Amino acid sequence: MQLAVNIAVLASIYALICCGYVLIYRVSRVLSLAHGELMLLGAYGLYATASLFKGHPLLALAAAAALALMVGAAVYLALMWRMTGESVLAAVLATIALGILLRGAMILVFGTQTQYPLRDLGWSNASVPVFGARISTVGLALVLATAAVYLGLFAFLRWTRWGIRMRAAGQHPLLAAQRGIGLHGVYALAWGLATFTGGMAGMLIACDAGLEGTLVIIGFKAFPAALVGGLDSLVGALVGSLVVAAAEVLLIHHVDPLLSDVVPFAVLLAMLAVRPWGLFGTREELDRV
Amino acid sequence: MRKLLCILALLAGAAHAQDAYVIGVSAAMTGPVAPNYAPVVEAMKAYLEHVDGRGGINGRKVRMVVLDDQAQPSRAATNAKQLLDQEKVPMLLNVSLSSTYAPMIAESKRTGVPLYFAGAVCPKETYPPADPLQFCSTAFGANLDSQAALAFVKAQAKDPVRIAFQAMAIPIARAEIDYAEGLSKTLGMTVVEKQISPPPAPDYTPFATKLVEAKPNWVWSWSPWVAQVRTFESMRRLGWNGKYLTWAHLNAEEELARIKDGDFYVVGTNAFLEDNLPVHAEIRAVAARAKLDYPVSYLTEGFVAGLVVEQALRNTPWPPTPQKVLAAMNNLKVDMKGLRGGPLEWTKDNHFRTKQYYRVWRWDRAGNRIVRAQDWQAIEVKR
Repeated sequence: MQLAVNIAVLASIYALICCGYVLIYRVSRVLSLAHGELMLLGAYGLYATASLFKGHPLLALAAAAALALMVGAAVYLALMWRMTGESVLAAVLATIALGILLRGAMILVFGTQTQYPLRDLGWSNASVPVFGARISTVGLALVLATAAVYLGLFAFLRWTRWGIRMRAAGQHPLLAAQRGIGLHGVYALAWGLATFTGGMAGMLIACDAGLEGTLVIIGFKAFPAALVGGLDSLVGALVGSLVVAAAEVLLIHHVDPLLSDVVPFAVLLAMLAVRPWGLFGTREELDRV
Repeated sequence: MRKLLCILALLAGAAHAQDAYVIGVSAAMTGPVAPNYAPVVEAMKAYLEHVDGRGGINGRKVRMVVLDDQAQPSRAATNAKQLLDQEKVPMLLNVSLSSTYAPMIAESKRTGVPLYFAGAVCPKETYPPADPLQFCSTAFGANLDSQAALAFVKAQAKDPVRIAFQAMAIPIARAEIDYAEGLSKTLGMTVVEKQISPPPAPDYTPFATKLVEAKPNWVWSWSPWVAQVRTFESMRRLGWNGKYLTWAHLNAEEELARIKDGDFYVVGTNAFLEDNLPVHAEIRAVAARAKLDYPVSYLTEGFVAGLVVEQALRNTPWPPTPQKVLAAMNNLKVDMKGLRGGPLEWTKDNHFRTKQYYRVWRWDRAGNRIVRAQDWQAIEVKR
């Protein structure tokens, strides 16, 4: 049972991170390679708001989440908006440059010390029994937050006006624009939501294990899960995360912990050989890339 | 007239620079591992500025040229070249990850300039019989640390020891844990699990699960802090209640107070602020004057490096050349003012130290403070 719980927590981490990659790619066909840095920025946002609103942890959390949403939209309006009409490669390179800039800026502003936002919020990370296994409180929060985010996103994309606009812009931007959909607004919203979900992942990981620069590498580690599921599918991101996490946890336990580093990429290679567009990805979309 | 004044000012500046002892440092000031190294450099710099404020060394100022290598070997190589060929430093320092050692050693050998490791693990070449150009003062030392740690476990254990080992998947940590595994068997301990985890992991629970299932009553972990402590915290959340011994990195004192677990031990060679020595007041004053951002407890290692540099340069007659600095470093005895268990001594044959002193600390729940679990124990460093 403990293994199942471990898989659920790791899959939730990957799924929450992947969500951002998929949202941006699905809507604007841009692969954001600054996602790890935006995740870290989200976590530093919580660290800052926890200090600012000492004694009001819920307010600090809400402020950090709102900040992440705004940062994502601002990234689009300040940088990615100018990439409209440019080649996809130029946009991807712009995200790499953004990542480098953010990394440097965060060191200058927040320093290099490990921080503990959970302690600043005044909460502890106790262990909770679940069906005979144990899970940390933050681990449980991660699983619940991932479920809530995915359910919320499915509902948003299916039943709300902005969600339908977002799907339309992703399927055929030219037609969508001709029907009066403001593409810049939709793209800004996609960047905002992606940074919000990535930031949330960053905040929860930082609450569980401390906040330091290596969070960026974890953001990169989740990327194979998005590719395994299919880069333009949210269901794919969920299933891909589960597949990668299960392979990782089972190999750590039954074979060799050292393999955990290469497993995501081994699963990805296997998927690329059999089904390059991923489990739930669109073949046509891949051809376009 | 203005031009003449400018030329005179430039000449005066150059003469001033030539009047100073210049040392070159390549350090991981930014990048993922910077938290382990940047405080060492900042503290050393602050200490040497403090020395300058007291009149300098042999009447001359000390100038530290610090270049950031981000723990990347290629950057370390470029930094070493720049420091040796352009700045012409007579002493080169490395405060970075072990992967940066090889290119800096190559540059040190090319120019005959001594290379001093002041923040990362000491290379084997500094142990006797030492490489003529490599020196080290860093607290931790391969093999000796495991000897001290396992001796402590043996002394403490009331029941037969079922020990597990944990390390991060970096060459130096893996080699140390392999050594500890062999040593523990000679001490009559039962090895129940040895686990190497990759850096960094999003969740350490899967690793901890396997360790807990092996039912150890002791764990010895020798790795970067993140792997040591995250594994421990995950094991505790899984309900494990054994004793965990690990290496006291720069942040150990602050972390003991955060974790507050009576069975979480750290072994190290530097004194803690808890000791409240006169030198700690000096460190506090220097840190305040330099407006350092790091907690004072992070600064001991940098202060030790500062004391070593000061003494080495004090023994170097003016003008300093690599040969004169090397001669001074080959016969060095530095009073550690209580920051370590005894003086740091380098000889022609031993560029590590002749004796290594270890202390062990833990959190005392009853007293709500850090206490010593074992006072200084010396290990002779021999061939």
